[in-house]
Amino acid sequence: MTPEEIIESITSQYGDAIKASEVKGTEARMDIQREKNCEILTTLKEAGFDYLNCLSAVDRIANGELEVVYHLSSLSQPTKILVRVRIPRADPIIRSVVPLWGTADWHEREAFDMMGIQFDGHPDLRRILTSEDWVGYPLRKDYQDERLVPYEPV
Amino acid sequence: MNPQETEIAELTPETMEEMYVNMGPQHPSTHGVLRLLLKLDGEVVTEVIPYLGYLHRCHEKIGENRTYTQIIPYTDRLDYLASMYNNFGYVLTVERLVGITVPERAEYMRVILGELQRIASHLIWLGTLGLDLGNFTIFMYCFREREKILDLFESVSGQRLNYSFYRIGGMPLDFPDSFLTECKAFLEWFKPRLPEYDAIMGDNIIFQKRVQGLGKLDAKTAINYAISGPMLRASGIKWDLRRNDPYSIYDRFEFDIPVGTSGDVWDRYMVRRIEMEESVKIIEQALQGLPSGEIIAKMPKKLKPPVGDIYTRVESPRGELGFYLVSDGTEKPYRYKVRSPAFVNLSVLPVIGRGCLVADIVAILGSIDIVLGEVDR
Repeated sequence: MTPEEIIESITSQYGDAIKASEVKGTEARMDIQREKNCEILTTLKEAGFDYLNCLSAVDRIANGELEVVYHLSSLSQPTKILVRVRIPRADPIIRSVVPLWGTADWHEREAFDMMGIQFDGHPDLRRILTSEDWVGYPLRKDYQDERLVPYEPV
Repeated sequence: MNPQETEIAELTPETMEEMYVNMGPQHPSTHGVLRLLLKLDGEVVTEVIPYLGYLHRCHEKIGENRTYTQIIPYTDRLDYLASMYNNFGYVLTVERLVGITVPERAEYMRVILGELQRIASHLIWLGTLGLDLGNFTIFMYCFREREKILDLFESVSGQRLNYSFYRIGGMPLDFPDSFLTECKAFLEWFKPRLPEYDAIMGDNIIFQKRVQGLGKLDAKTAINYAISGPMLRASGIKWDLRRNDPYSIYDRFEFDIPVGTSGDVWDRYMVRRIEMEESVKIIEQALQGLPSGEIIAKMPKKLKPPVGDIYTRVESPRGELGFYLVSDGTEKPYRYKVRSPAFVNLSVLPVIGRGCLVADIVAILGSIDIVLGEVDR
């Protein structure tokens, strides 16, 4: 499937849930509503994009949003897919995709640990890289560690 | 919540037989500071719970506070057994984000050094797997060979472990005059060494009986867990990014992709063992075709990539090494995410480690080939 075909078929199926889409080289890029993330990703997985390369989170503090980015690809075709979900910083909850991909387990734990995104339905959402009693989410742009003293040039 | 506390509180006469054993973080067979909490029923492992983060240094946050060029030395410290390849993946990502064409000679240099690094990394893997299983001899052999590769790297870059030798746009220095003859001499010397490993390790009936059928990972689970690299190929899937999603100049070389059948420790051994031969083939072809000319493209003094984001993946010795860069048009990346192959490959350990003996966990973990610098970032 070419990236154009993927965007076309997903848009015809989900309509308004696709907020924006573009094609960049061999990559199809979609911005979707968070309520539909599991449905759309299931459809893509069934269409052959069964390899979740990466799940990352980006803090868009200027817009008051957090982004969850899914990079999908397939072991049988060159097309790649980027699915982006924007969620408000004040209410960072999104449904977990662990039932779809086992690899999402640790990626989601990392996104929770570093960005504070709550993955609804994750079987074991604990901090993974920092210690269990860590306070705050280090990769957020407004993160402040009280123990750090600001550097003042001599 | 700590599972140790919950489970012990629920002990009943039926479950009294089970106990928890900590493997690591200070344990030689965990290859660094990985802690595995093993739930045991007698000597059978019923559950493996990995605890990560003992080497966490917030690599990604550091990256957000450095310029694109300043990140290169930090990537060395990710997978410190394959520094050249981390540099490779990172500079390739930035070059694709900015849209830079790298001179031909630099591409060949990158491939030669990258494949030498793959051999060095696989040698460490083979040696330490031998150590884990009580075969000390292979360790000495592998480190002897790796030492020669490090000598080559030292002659090129001046460093033996963290090279920081790739630059955005090309390479900083040309090969020294002696490099080509030394590299060819090394390859000629190295090729007959490979059958020696078979004699010590692969043909050894004790090793074969020990690892065949151990830690099986079927293709479906491997894809579900996004396993990559030699571990995915051992599970019978012919997938190599150098061939299937070619980057740099890998589409010009002829090499085979070894695949296993059952995805056990034995297959992972065979895949990596044959991959060393294939890397030798690639280096020989690259040395043959090495053109002369420029080694670095013309670069602006201040590198400011356009607004946008990119995910680039390369086939590092451990698997798919991906970099996700988000640029906001300034000198520093807005977001810098590393998709490390060891982190993802390790996440399948609770699945394949269930039902093994304690001693087998050591062999399975050794066959996954993790580097904690990359897992914890």
